[in-house]
Amino acid sequence: MLLEINNLHKSYGNGVNRVEILKGISFDVKKGEFVVLLGPSGSGKSTLLNIIGGIDTPDEGYISIDGHKTGDMKDKALTAYRRDHLGYIFQMYNLIPNLTVKENIEVGAYLSKNPLELDELIDTLGLTEHKNKLPNQLSGGQQQRTAIGRAIIKNPDVLLCDEPTGALDYNTSKEILKLIEDVNQKYGNTVIMVTHNDAIKNMSDRVIKLKDGSIRKNYINDNKISAAELEW
Amino acid sequence: MKSPLIKRIPRELKGEIGKYLVIFIFMAATIGFISGFLVADDSMITAYNESFEKYNIENGNFILEDKATDDFVKAVEDEGVTIYENYYQEFDTDNNSDGEYESTLRIYKVRKDVDKICLMKGNMPGNDDEIVIDRMYADNNKLKVGDIIKVKDTEYTISGLVAFSDYSALFSDNTDMMFDAVKFSVAAVTDDEFDRITTDNMRYNYSWKYDKEPTDDKEEKTRAEELVKVMAANGILKSYIPGYQNQAINFTGDDMGSDRSMMITLLYILIAIMAFIFAVTTTNTITKESSIIGTLRATGYTRSELTRHYTVLPVIVTLVAALVGNIMGYTWFKDVCASMYYGSYSLPTYKTLWNTDAFVLTTVIPVIIMIFINAVIVTHKLKISPLKFLRHDLSRNKNKKATRLPDIKFIRRFRIRIILQNMSGYITLLIGIIFANLLLLFGLFMKPLINEYGDEVIDNMICRYQYVLKAPVDTQIDGAERYLMTSLKTTVEKSKADEVSVYGIQDDSDYLNADFPSDGVYASEGYLDKYELSVGDVITLKEKYSDKTYDFKIKGTYKYPAGLAIFMNDDEYRKVFDKDSEYYTGYFSDEELTDIDSNYIYTKITEDDLTKTTRQLKVSMGGMVELVEIFAIIMFIILVYLLTKIIIEKNSLSISMVKILGYTNGEIGRLYVMATTIVVILWILVSIPVLTLIIKEIYRYMMADMGGWIMLKIRPDIYITMFIMSVASYGVIAALQMRKISKIPLDEALKNVE
Repeated sequence: MLLEINNLHKSYGNGVNRVEILKGISFDVKKGEFVVLLGPSGSGKSTLLNIIGGIDTPDEGYISIDGHKTGDMKDKALTAYRRDHLGYIFQMYNLIPNLTVKENIEVGAYLSKNPLELDELIDTLGLTEHKNKLPNQLSGGQQQRTAIGRAIIKNPDVLLCDEPTGALDYNTSKEILKLIEDVNQKYGNTVIMVTHNDAIKNMSDRVIKLKDGSIRKNYINDNKISAAELEW
Repeated sequence: MKSPLIKRIPRELKGEIGKYLVIFIFMAATIGFISGFLVADDSMITAYNESFEKYNIENGNFILEDKATDDFVKAVEDEGVTIYENYYQEFDTDNNSDGEYESTLRIYKVRKDVDKICLMKGNMPGNDDEIVIDRMYADNNKLKVGDIIKVKDTEYTISGLVAFSDYSALFSDNTDMMFDAVKFSVAAVTDDEFDRITTDNMRYNYSWKYDKEPTDDKEEKTRAEELVKVMAANGILKSYIPGYQNQAINFTGDDMGSDRSMMITLLYILIAIMAFIFAVTTTNTITKESSIIGTLRATGYTRSELTRHYTVLPVIVTLVAALVGNIMGYTWFKDVCASMYYGSYSLPTYKTLWNTDAFVLTTVIPVIIMIFINAVIVTHKLKISPLKFLRHDLSRNKNKKATRLPDIKFIRRFRIRIILQNMSGYITLLIGIIFANLLLLFGLFMKPLINEYGDEVIDNMICRYQYVLKAPVDTQIDGAERYLMTSLKTTVEKSKADEVSVYGIQDDSDYLNADFPSDGVYASEGYLDKYELSVGDVITLKEKYSDKTYDFKIKGTYKYPAGLAIFMNDDEYRKVFDKDSEYYTGYFSDEELTDIDSNYIYTKITEDDLTKTTRQLKVSMGGMVELVEIFAIIMFIILVYLLTKIIIEKNSLSISMVKILGYTNGEIGRLYVMATTIVVILWILVSIPVLTLIIKEIYRYMMADMGGWIMLKIRPDIYITMFIMSVASYGVIAALQMRKISKIPLDEALKNVE
């Protein structure tokens, strides 16, 4: 077992403004598993991902990675946890505008003692001819590829993807999903992807459906198809 | 692996080159000036200190009524000293051939053994018609080598400009409040010429050197006190000045080091302000890059890695500015500062010395200040959680709600919002404005203060001719009024002892308009102000050459700006100082007392004597005042420019947005630039009372060592000038900001944030 998520509760606001976002979420993730967290807006999926990512804390419950509970970790330990185990991909790419593609990916490599081979990865990402460009010279898809490169170059145990195709068109979205799938298969990273796109569940090993802060369904996808075959 | 973020540094520098260049130039110039000052100061002080040995400066001097007899010399030299003849004569001099004798030259022979002369330019007198004069007096009177001056009836060619080692400050009289290098100079001619011009006016001046130098000040004082007794017992002593009391020798040394701490403080305040500007710009960048920071933090970058990243550029700029500044300091500014010293003192030549202290003070410490201030502010800013960075939610206070504003016009509310949003920048601006205006105000008020003081001294002169006599002597001239006077010293701990004139004034005096008490004293206003005394206080003064002290109760004040003085009834004076009823020390008179033999006159004080201080202060300040004003205005412009630039940049998205909505550039300017305009004007007004308080303290500290006192007064019109100059400087910046606003493209708001 790589990840254990146990009885997570989270709410925001006070008094009458208090909104409960997560209402006791529990599930496990195995090493190398591709998990999709599915749900409409406001279901709590991004909050859940942020708690897994150690950038938000639960009011109750805990996350355990390889037996280490994040709830016991202080700020410094949490940073080390993210540094050593996690890669992050966001809907908005959050690239550094005055660094080139290659350098943006190096930003991730810097954090790892054993990063992946940079040029090979750039090649895998299909960015070789763009590697010396600045983010504003790239399309949305290319920017997201760069962001993926930045996340995976340190070969993280868990790759957290928060609506990675949310800002992209259909074809580019499929390319990006294919890339994440390839990464998952090639490097064996665990992938947890948050999306509201129902079709994406079909490429995952496990689907967790959220609604109003609770898990409605948690099942193994027996009919897994490749990203290229996805339709929506 | 090196952090790849490093690669951003040169690009960021290039992208914001204007900002960095402005700060760099400003810091390099400031550091350069201060480093130049410290190097010049240190080199000059060393040259000055070494001059005692190099030029064999005397341990003291005395003037005898007549030539010293062999017995006198023997008696004194038996005390372990060697006596050197150092006669001089004073002559009125016409230095510009206009027939008017405007100066006094004190002429010596060329010294060979003691108090030797440093030749700065030209040659020592080779012929009898040649003379060397003080280099600074020559500068002040625009005289150069080869010029002709007329001394009494004789014309001399100036063969050289010199520095007399015992006259680094040209005090003609050791009791003067200030030296006078405008109308007084020392000079030297050949031995033959000196003998030729010998008159009755010869001053039998002798210098002495101890055969074995006293080991400390206490011993020197004891020996000097013993020596004077021997001299007085063996001859008629007209003047006696031990070296440690000789202002002409010591004033320069006392004054030279005194600006050092103020200069260093000035530098550190400037660096701190620059550090705050950097920090404000960095926090602005952090706000702009919040999603990137959130991502980096989420990915595992530590806060300290990011802090280092955001502080490295300010530190590099400071370091390079410090190094460049030091190079300029050692090459160019050193000469500028040295010439400032040469403008104030008759110093000998100097050699530039490497100054480790100056290097540390102007390089290492500024960098530390920069690192500290930026690290503290950036770390604080980065304390927010990665999630909040990702959400662009950078407010620390969770429950922070929008400040409620009164129901006023939308435009006004909008401006208030801008002001509230940029409060941290505006607070830095307030500190900067206070500092810039402090310098500006100093530049503005000093000259008028000194001029007014000069006028006041003349307006409040007791009489046109004040005679100090060697012994009581009668006069038949009408209107002459006897008075009694002595000099005592202040006894306030931890401050240099000031000389205070104690006057005994007869009842119904024609010259002083007050009934002086017999159970206390009236003190001059300057005295009360300098020592922060008030009526009712008791002061303790001591005799100059003994430990005897006197207590006086202050019963009132008297307007006498020329110096520190206390006044009492003459009967009371006689009682206090145990003098008989016929005793007096001089006359006040509006007419010259032509019937008194000049041998009885110790000194005659006229308008010219009383205005020495103002004259010399004006010369010493020279171009400094304008330099300070220019520096202050440049600093003001840079500070306001950088901070207003940040405000516009911070709001560029909103500005672009309102442009899309249809606002004109003028309307946008009225929102964004006007908000800053209001704050700047408000800050300038707020700074006035704050500045007045600060200046009072600095002025007191700055002038504390000066003999006498000039009461600080800042005329209202000086504040008005300062206000106008500040607002006008701001006008330039406002125009630049308007240009910047007009250049913000419409599509800024529509662009992807990446």
